[in-house]
Amino acid sequence: MTSNSSRIIGAVEIGTGKIAVLVGEIARGRSLNIIGVGVAPSRGVMKGEVVDYKAACEATHQALEMAEKRAGARIEEVWLAQTGGHLDGFYNEASVNVKSADNTVTALDIATVCDLAKEKELPAGRSRIHEIRRPFRLDGRNVPDAEHLSGRRLEVGYWIVHGHEGKVSDNIHVVGGYHLEVRELVLSSLANGALLTSAEERQHGALVINLGKGITDYVLYRDGHVLVTGTLPVGGDHLTNDLSIGLRVTASQAEMLKLRHGRATIQTRDKSEKVWLNGDASFGDRQFSKTAIETISAIRTLELLEVLKQKLGPVFLPEHCGAGVILTGGTSKLPGIEDVASQVFGLNARRGESPAWVKEELKDPMFSTVLGIFQFGLRGAQEHAVPPRRKTGFLSNLTRIFATS
Amino acid sequence: MSAVETISDRSAGRSWRDIRQEVTSLAMSRKGRFRRRLEWFKLTALVVLAALAGWGLYSVVHSWETDRSGLATAVHSDPVRDIAVIPDGVLTKQWASDALGLPKAASLMALDLPKLRDRLLDHGQVRVAVLRRKFPDTLEVTLHERTPVARVQASDGDGLPKQLLVARDGVVYEGFNYDKQMLASLPWLDGVRLVRHDGKYEPIAGMTDVAALLSVTQLEAPHLYRGWLIVSLARLESRDEIVVKAQDIPEIVFSRKRDFLRQVAQLDYVVDKVRDAMAEPTLLSINLALEGQVPVKMQNTPAELAKLPAANFTLQSNQTKSKRDL
Repeated sequence: MTSNSSRIIGAVEIGTGKIAVLVGEIARGRSLNIIGVGVAPSRGVMKGEVVDYKAACEATHQALEMAEKRAGARIEEVWLAQTGGHLDGFYNEASVNVKSADNTVTALDIATVCDLAKEKELPAGRSRIHEIRRPFRLDGRNVPDAEHLSGRRLEVGYWIVHGHEGKVSDNIHVVGGYHLEVRELVLSSLANGALLTSAEERQHGALVINLGKGITDYVLYRDGHVLVTGTLPVGGDHLTNDLSIGLRVTASQAEMLKLRHGRATIQTRDKSEKVWLNGDASFGDRQFSKTAIETISAIRTLELLEVLKQKLGPVFLPEHCGAGVILTGGTSKLPGIEDVASQVFGLNARRGESPAWVKEELKDPMFSTVLGIFQFGLRGAQEHAVPPRRKTGFLSNLTRIFATS
Repeated sequence: MSAVETISDRSAGRSWRDIRQEVTSLAMSRKGRFRRRLEWFKLTALVVLAALAGWGLYSVVHSWETDRSGLATAVHSDPVRDIAVIPDGVLTKQWASDALGLPKAASLMALDLPKLRDRLLDHGQVRVAVLRRKFPDTLEVTLHERTPVARVQASDGDGLPKQLLVARDGVVYEGFNYDKQMLASLPWLDGVRLVRHDGKYEPIAGMTDVAALLSVTQLEAPHLYRGWLIVSLARLESRDEIVVKAQDIPEIVFSRKRDFLRQVAQLDYVVDKVRDAMAEPTLLSINLALEGQVPVKMQNTPAELAKLPAANFTLQSNQTKSKRDL
């Protein structure tokens, strides 16, 4: 990511439940000042994918406009969160023999091995989103930076995240419809991980799970590096759907019951305890068994987390995940979910908490992804040596000069 | 090196950065279209501002370069007291003074040198004129002149004939201060149409070839050149031929497609042969425009000359014609 003197950046999350936009002023590529917030109920998006372009545009542009108005500034570029069931990842590694006569690793050796590790072709219609490097191995020992060290064989592996080109471009075009350029695309799970974990926690190992409305995404850290990322096309909507079927109510009524009485664990012992649907004794108001609501939501939550654990497979080792499980996203508000996560993963689990620098009104989990985009971007601006591809040409340069003036 | 890399130019295969971000106007929201129009407006305003700034700068520079009076007041200088002329021909200081027509007591700094140079160049005799201020009060004029290669007759406004000179580059001009004897030795041009434009004659096309022929002849066969009276360009455009009328030969035809040195050598050979064979030869025409043979037309060809074998003017591949052969 670039580090110019001062830029107005919009962090955008086009989620299944809501569209969140934060406007941040980044000075000298390091300090962030959040100057505007915009939230709009999502439309035209299912499981993190745009299914109705016009509706998605209307909702997103509404949030963008609101954020710009509150910020009193025009967004110059967008860093966009990317999620969805179409995202996938694979691990690829490569090794080279150190070329210099004295066995000192040079920048050329590093560049060569990195290029080889990233070289694997993707299937047709897939686009790369991120290339996440794992630590270098020099003669079998892990080293964070191999340059100037001595050794014979240098190895490196990359976790490459890719997505369906059409679905990624749909997301980008929704922002493009507001005449804004997407300068960075950040995986939602990485954004959440960047915000909710400290460097120390990542070093000890941590699993960050973002339970959204339509999608659950996760990132597993080990030894300070990203080990795997992934998504499950399951989220809070499934709990709502099960409640709707089980209790024979509409989706909106089920959503209301979930928010009011849903739990990840069964707490109510009295099976006869009832709750009202509306609670205002109006016409059509009904009573439901509280145990039934808790049972349905608890079973579904347990199932969701077990599916996630299964998807993680053998890479998830509790002994290498000292910082435990960190939960975020709207569904993580479900009472007792930490206990279920703790039980499923055999680790301490907690709800993610935004760092101290985040203002109180932005500490809601709904903002964790957009805040995480900034956190990820700022960390990247300090770490990343490789500049992103920029448009060239007279008009583009002139526009850029004008935009920054 | 960063652990999490954003997709960059170095990435292998297709990345999200390859996705075209621009959307059509129809796919944009009202606000998006407004933002785009605003950006274009800003861009246009920037271009217009830049153009205006450029024009303003040009105006200032142009004014600085052309506003002599401003320059004169900005820098102290004396009136012009002397004009130093450095000619490479026959032009004189008096001629230069008259041509320049400087106002009395004109300040040296106030002189518009490009304009004065143009006044000198209006005279065809001047090929190059360089004017320099020599402080405190002298204007130095360096002149490079044209050399006439032929004369041409024209009529002035009153219908009276006047003699004009033609330079190697075809420029037609009234000569000043040339030696009359030298002028009398120049051949007349014929078959040319003089066109006046803005009070000056248009340059004559094809004069480079004519000048080359005349130079070669003057240098290599001066005895022939002395007898040349008229050079006609009437057939130059249509047949690439230059026709010369000499004192003793009414028509000598040259081709500009053939080497002039060789044609002059052939002419010299033919004239010598004929003079050797006849006491008083009367040549009517010699055509040097043909490759390999030179048709010669004579009055009363004697029988003994008619029997002579035709001279072979075709050079063999290993033969060269040196100047000495002439």
